[in-house]
Amino acid sequence: MKHVEMLDCDAVMRQLWDYLDGELTAEREEAVRAHLTMCNRCFPQKNFEESFLRVLAQSRREHSRAAALKDRILLALRADGFAA
Amino acid sequence: MPDSRARDEQFRDLALPHLDAVTRYALALTRDEAETDDLVQETFLRAFRSWDQFAPGTECRAWLFTICRNAHLRTVQRDERMDVMPDADVEALAAAAIHAAARGDGIEDVFAQEQVIAAVRQAVDDLPEPFREVVQLVDLQEQSYDEAASVLGVPKGTVRSRLFRGRRLLQETLIGHARDAGIVGRPRGRGADGESTS
Repeated sequence: MKHVEMLDCDAVMRQLWDYLDGELTAEREEAVRAHLTMCNRCFPQKNFEESFLRVLAQSRREHSRAAALKDRILLALRADGFAA
Repeated sequence: MPDSRARDEQFRDLALPHLDAVTRYALALTRDEAETDDLVQETFLRAFRSWDQFAPGTECRAWLFTICRNAHLRTVQRDERMDVMPDADVEALAAAAIHAAARGDGIEDVFAQEQVIAAVRQAVDDLPEPFREVVQLVDLQEQSYDEAASVLGVPKGTVRSRLFRGRRLLQETLIGHARDAGIVGRPRGRGADGESTS
């Protein structure tokens, strides 16, 4: 049976963003996940931080000028010898 | 060493697909659309001229971001960059306190409010450096901590601490905005731990 590290709320809160960013080791990620599934205090915070990060990601602005800029870049590259 | 045509095709296939991402990153750096176009052009020209230095199999987007940032820094010659080193764990716990307060005030869904979503970009733009550039790289350009550290030329721990400070500042700003705009209710004299003080 695989041993899963036990973490307290304080440790989980310190590492919550690392966890949501996928920056923890597999073992630590599993330990945080195990804590979150059974903790009524940390689980709502995880949802709160997730919705915050989702809002941030949504704020990426797509550029309508992208095509025009690409043409400009290609022109400059070709003047510099780019031939593909 | 690939021949010239193969080299150009490799550049076309590996570098050019990142044009949109580099453009978004350049805009985040310059905050000016005309300067962005110049910076993106300079980035790709430098990348093309240095293509032999790119190691195939490594992350091309991060390599382009590094060139872009270096080009930007050369242009603006920032001579007084704020270089503080907040404690990442302290920032993470402060964010937990923000959540506790929001929960206590019944505004836990504040980040699902449409008006808040609209305010995010401005709040990111208004973040002080060096927190803004880390948030831009990790949260908006989806770079890992390691990739962001490589682009910025700082240790991974510095990325983490600046990112967490930036996120906490953003949360405070956005919740304040939501309250000022009447989107969510005002706090009823609560401390950071969510206990009522009135």
